[in-house]
Amino acid sequence: MNQQPFVEDIETYAQDIVDTVREPLLMLDTNLRVQSANRAFYETFQVSPIETEDQLIYELGNGQWDIPSLRTLLEDVIPTSSVFNDFELEHTFPIIGRRVMLLNGRKLRAGSHSAIIVLAMEDVTERRRSEADLRAIETYAQDIVDTVREPLLILDTTLRVQSGNRAFYHTFRVSPDETENRLIYELGNGQWDIPALRTLLEDIVPTSSVFNDFELVHDFPELGRRVMLLNARKLQAGHHGELVVLAMEDVTERRRAEEEAVAAKEASEAANQTKSMFLANMSHELRTPLNAIVGYSEMLHEEATEQGLESFAVDLNKIHSSGRQLLGLINDILDLSKIEAGKMELFLEDFDLKLLIDDVAATIGPMVKKNANVLKIECSADLGGMRADQAKMRQALFNLLSNAAKFTHEGTVTLNAARERMDGTEWIVFQVVDTGIGLSSEKLLRLFQDFTQADPSTTRKFGGTGLGLALTRRFCQMMGGDVTVHSDEGKGSTFTIKLPAIVSELEIPRVEDLPGEDVPIANIDRRTGDPAPSPGTCVLVIDDNASQRDIMRRFLVKEGYCVRCAGSGEEGLRLAREMLPIAITLDVMMPEMDGWEVLKVLHADPALSEIPVIMLTMVDDPERGIRFGATEYLTKPVNRHRLSRILKRYACSAAACPVLVVEDDEAMRKSMRQLLEKNGCRVAEAENGKTALALMEKEKPTLIFLDLRMEVMDGFEFVEEVRRHSEWRSIPIIVVTAQDLTSGERKRLNGNVEMILHKSGQSRQELFSHVIDALDNSAVPRLTTV
Amino acid sequence: MRRILLVEDNEMNRDMLSRRLQRRGYEVIMATDGQQGVTMAQSRSPDVVLMDMSLPVMDGWEATRTLKSSPDTKDIPVIALTAHAMSTDREKAMEAGCDDYDTKPIELTRLIGKIESLIARFSNDIVQTEATT
Repeated sequence: MNQQPFVEDIETYAQDIVDTVREPLLMLDTNLRVQSANRAFYETFQVSPIETEDQLIYELGNGQWDIPSLRTLLEDVIPTSSVFNDFELEHTFPIIGRRVMLLNGRKLRAGSHSAIIVLAMEDVTERRRSEADLRAIETYAQDIVDTVREPLLILDTTLRVQSGNRAFYHTFRVSPDETENRLIYELGNGQWDIPALRTLLEDIVPTSSVFNDFELVHDFPELGRRVMLLNARKLQAGHHGELVVLAMEDVTERRRAEEEAVAAKEASEAANQTKSMFLANMSHELRTPLNAIVGYSEMLHEEATEQGLESFAVDLNKIHSSGRQLLGLINDILDLSKIEAGKMELFLEDFDLKLLIDDVAATIGPMVKKNANVLKIECSADLGGMRADQAKMRQALFNLLSNAAKFTHEGTVTLNAARERMDGTEWIVFQVVDTGIGLSSEKLLRLFQDFTQADPSTTRKFGGTGLGLALTRRFCQMMGGDVTVHSDEGKGSTFTIKLPAIVSELEIPRVEDLPGEDVPIANIDRRTGDPAPSPGTCVLVIDDNASQRDIMRRFLVKEGYCVRCAGSGEEGLRLAREMLPIAITLDVMMPEMDGWEVLKVLHADPALSEIPVIMLTMVDDPERGIRFGATEYLTKPVNRHRLSRILKRYACSAAACPVLVVEDDEAMRKSMRQLLEKNGCRVAEAENGKTALALMEKEKPTLIFLDLRMEVMDGFEFVEEVRRHSEWRSIPIIVVTAQDLTSGERKRLNGNVEMILHKSGQSRQELFSHVIDALDNSAVPRLTTV
Repeated sequence: MRRILLVEDNEMNRDMLSRRLQRRGYEVIMATDGQQGVTMAQSRSPDVVLMDMSLPVMDGWEATRTLKSSPDTKDIPVIALTAHAMSTDREKAMEAGCDDYDTKPIELTRLIGKIESLIARFSNDIVQTEATT
């Protein structure tokens, strides 16, 4: 039988193939007894051929294959059909654990052998798991998409809808069936076939992969006219390929509200204008007959007096003074409405202050005497004259004095006038001091508002409309100054007017002429469109008054600071978080959120609580300021020199703060200065610790080079002193010393100084190169001209 | 007796001011518009003119300019009477050549002060006999 070896060859060959197959195979006879298995089977299930061959499949591995669903398969399916595919069997095997097997069976005849069943098992556990994971991820993504409240459409690159989210179906009242796998333009009977949208999706998205806030106004059949804000983003979504997510936000209501707000604002402005016009006209009409009343009563009073008709004269005088009072009120109303309408002008003239004050004193005299008060006038010797609107000046003083007289009984009303120099200009300061009823802090805050008296009950008791103070303040502001008040309840009040001695019309900023608020200044390059200064470089100005903001900004920019402005407390807080300013100037009196509230929030936020806050206020109550945690407290109008000094003490702007060299050897100090200046630093020098501290009071340095052995106050003491002040704690100190330090001395410096450089043991040049290294490492702001 | 020309279109103002001035010993002659004011200033040679600014026919600014441009009348002091707080009126009045201004409502003592000081200033420059008549 020369065919026998040939057959054996083929069987070996077949066995080799079977062994090469990487999925486990079992060869069973029709009685389900194992004829053989391949290597993969033995390896996968960790059994040996002896344990396997000639065994019933159910007996294998202690019955691990005795699985009901496999029995069904083998005993019911195989006998009737010769093949089965992809039967999925999930089973916990003793050794290999829970597995998902994909079984494929085939009945075949193999030469002399009787029919055998080849059972191939593929372990798809991992594949099933990752498929499940993927499904979970997709479900998760879909859940997110469905949670989003704005309608979303997911499109493929041919603009066919893959899916929409729940919000989409809900908003546009369509079903997924009507939506998925359709072109976006076919949706809802073509309601999305909008030329603008076509342009967007077909021209813009393919080239730019994203577009933001495209506003689409369209009449939708079901919804009516809607304004949609469209945002699109192209993204790579795994096996889904490239997708376009189209988000549509219905801003119809918002736009309508905005339009209504604008319309309402315009309407209210128009109404206000009408009111001002009406008041102006009305006042004029009222004044004409009133002039006659005042004039004729005065005339008759004169005549009656001349003819000795005393009883007539008294009554005529009453008519006359009431008429005058009424005329005064009407004039106040006219003035305020003029200011509101922007029609109030300044009439600037030079006048002598003493004459003005005498004139005012003469006018106010009878009112002061009425409550048994004494009027004291104190003018400084150098008072001289001023250039201002004399009539408004007179009225402002008269208003303050008549208030003082009204609220004081059997006391003293004092008018002080003095000339002061601040910011290199001359100012005239008037103070009206009374010993009257005074005002509480709460009342102070409401004091200057138009048509408001500090307390409604005041109106009944003392009369008046509350116009006087508001008008006084407006007048002073128009002339580039302001009014401040200090008051102790029960003890009296002090009103202070500060005005430039030479009022110039140019200095009065008209709100509408000011540049836009968000114009970034100084370090910010407008072309890059980067509105955010890098954190820690700018001063933040928070003030609701646009002209005050502008004045402050101009001043600070001139001082070398980068400045950002906020018009409200809320905006101020937002900017503060964004830009982490080096200092904040904060106006106290603002609508909605006032300065105190802003201060409270700043202090509660750990990121912001260290920023120095300079409160600017009309109310002179520094204790309250410090109690609430203000770093400094300035009254308006702000003394710019003081502000500048304060800022220098607390904050460094780029190139504004010096490097301080504390060194008793003059030659060494000078060469350090030369070196540092050559490297773009501004330098301050001190010959010992004490003078250094005095310098630092005035201006905070960015970096300190410190000698140790010095007279008066040595370096060790100086370091300890500096670290005691919280605002100085962050200044790096570099010790430059000629001496060897004892371990005790090292300990004293440890953690308090940045670095110790030795003068001895190295050449001047080597030392200086170390100094430059230290400078580079400290990130000291420097001028670029090196 | 000093002669004052009051140019004022409002009858009540004219009446009040003229009567009060007369009681203080002034002779008051009156005109009701700017044109009439100019004519009377030329024919009656007043010591001072009190000029309202908003006048019919010829307004106060124009009337003042006319007076100040004529050699016959340029030495008569003119006091502008302007409405309260109307600084533009005042400026315009001074530009037109008024020598002083006062605001309504009139405070008589103040106005008389201005009248007297202007007359004194002008009479130093012109004929001394004017003051003694």
